[in-house]
Amino acid sequence: MKVVALSTSTPKSSVALAEGREVVASAERTDRRGHASFLVPALDFCFDQAGWVPADVDAVVVDVGPGLYTGLRVGLATAQGLAGAVGAQLIPAVSLDALALRATTGHRHIVAVVDVRRGELAVAGYRPVPGGVVRDGAPQLVTPDRLRALLESDPGEVLLVGDVPALPEETLRGLHRVKVGRPRYPGAEALVEIGARTAEKDDAPHPDEVRPLYLRDPDVTINWAMLRQEGPWPGQR
Amino acid sequence: MKPVILAFETSCDETAVAVVRGTEVLSNVLSSQVDLHSRFGGVVPEVAARAHVEAIRSLTHRAMVEAGLHTDDLDAVAATEGPGLVGALLVGFSFAKATAWARQLPFVGVDHMEGHLMAPRIDHGEAFRPPAVSLLVSGGHSEIVLVHDWGEYEVLGRTIDDAAGEAFDKLARVMGLGFPGGPAIDAASEGGDPKAVSFPRALSDRPYDFSFSGLKTAVATFIERAARSGDLPPLADVAASLQEAIVDVLVDKTFRAVDDTGVRVVSGGGGVIANRRLRRRLAEEADKRGVTLCLPPPVLATDNAAMIGVAAVHHLSLGHVSDWATGVDPGLRLG
Ligand SMILES: [Zn+2]
Repeated sequence: MKVVALSTSTPKSSVALAEGREVVASAERTDRRGHASFLVPALDFCFDQAGWVPADVDAVVVDVGPGLYTGLRVGLATAQGLAGAVGAQLIPAVSLDALALRATTGHRHIVAVVDVRRGELAVAGYRPVPGGVVRDGAPQLVTPDRLRALLESDPGEVLLVGDVPALPEETLRGLHRVKVGRPRYPGAEALVEIGARTAEKDDAPHPDEVRPLYLRDPDVTINWAMLRQEGPWPGQR
Repeated sequence: MKPVILAFETSCDETAVAVVRGTEVLSNVLSSQVDLHSRFGGVVPEVAARAHVEAIRSLTHRAMVEAGLHTDDLDAVAATEGPGLVGALLVGFSFAKATAWARQLPFVGVDHMEGHLMAPRIDHGEAFRPPAVSLLVSGGHSEIVLVHDWGEYEVLGRTIDDAAGEAFDKLARVMGLGFPGGPAIDAASEGGDPKAVSFPRALSDRPYDFSFSGLKTAVATFIERAARSGDLPPLADVAASLQEAIVDVLVDKTFRAVDDTGVRVVSGGGGVIANRRLRRRLAEEADKRGVTLCLPPPVLATDNAAMIGVAAVHHLSLGHVSDWATGVDPGLRLG
């Protein structure tokens, strides 16, 4: 099975090509605004490296977040276009899962974080199990203070992965049971593994159900000056 | 051979996909978000971007099915590059670019305003040819463009404050009509007397520029006073009168440009071109001068992807193709 994986949920954009679980080509760039100009040239480069043509592709795995909204949409729209054009399967993957899967740990509880702006982080906890990790629950949004409280209340030792350098300095101060690990950003190579598992379990949703994980409602400013008001004519709504 | 192009338009609040063969429209579908935005009093960029990414996949499928084509039949893919809302533009542009790359087809980024400008080619064919004066009026833009040649545009004038469509929106609100205001006022003016109330026609110093902000104040003041004194004219009369004030300015400025430049072709584009009174008045003035008027039907005047496809046909004929690293340009300007 030929798999293409795309991740653009963080400042790091990445693309990976894999035969089953074996990565045969990959490319990445870290640039918060560059998702749209990176993806297709990177695909072009990787396909060249691997000697593939687009029609070979069986599945496209896409990072649906949580993460940067514009990046998520650029990645998903690219994945939809690619999968649709060659008749490939579209498989969603969670950014935090990709982080946790690549976290190196023996026994520690893993906590993965992704910066989602406006003073909030997306977070999820993971238990290491043989051959991988198991997520404790659905990803949630927290402030740095709340993250600190969560880490403090964790009874065991914790490995914190993700965009830790983006946290305010005091967030982790004095938390001796918390070790900071890598990776900082999710990458397409980890998505390959997630995609392979989904494909094996035949667990992919309908492509129209593959949506970005925003975790919050859109930021809406109501333009009161333009909202409909009552008219002066009798009988008007 | 006329190229078959799959085209996308997602610059604002319509997700639109079309298939064209040359200037012939094989399919032209869209998913309007107007209901999503109306309760906020305007287009909310984040809401628009979310809706685009949810709609574009199935809409593309529909456009291909309605065109009766398979992706093997395509010669190129096109998408709006700007101007517009960056998050919205990126959805259509990314989807289109990936589609083009996956089929190893040329990809063409198109200026939204050039799309509006070229839309009359669909129905008017060779009758619509440069040099021409084009009136481009929508919720986001109001421009009078001198088309020296395809691809060679000179913006003669533009609004110095509100776009024409924006003026309609604001006036509709003052009158207690819904959003978007253009169609609401067009409908409310049915049977009304355009001479019932004389609203000001703001003419700026520069010959082809226009201004609409004073009109809103004038209409609001008039309605308030008339309602208080109990002699408010019928809704249809007020709607027809203020519509006339906008139409007068647009028609006057457009034909001033026609007379000054001596062109023999006049065209239009943008959502406001769907206004029935504006269409009638443009036709009258064109008749008087014996010049050719090329207006797109309403469905091709408002935002659509067929116009993007038709503009792309032109670029493709000149070998203008975008490279894979091209991004969107929300501030793109014609000319
Ligand atoms: Zn437009």
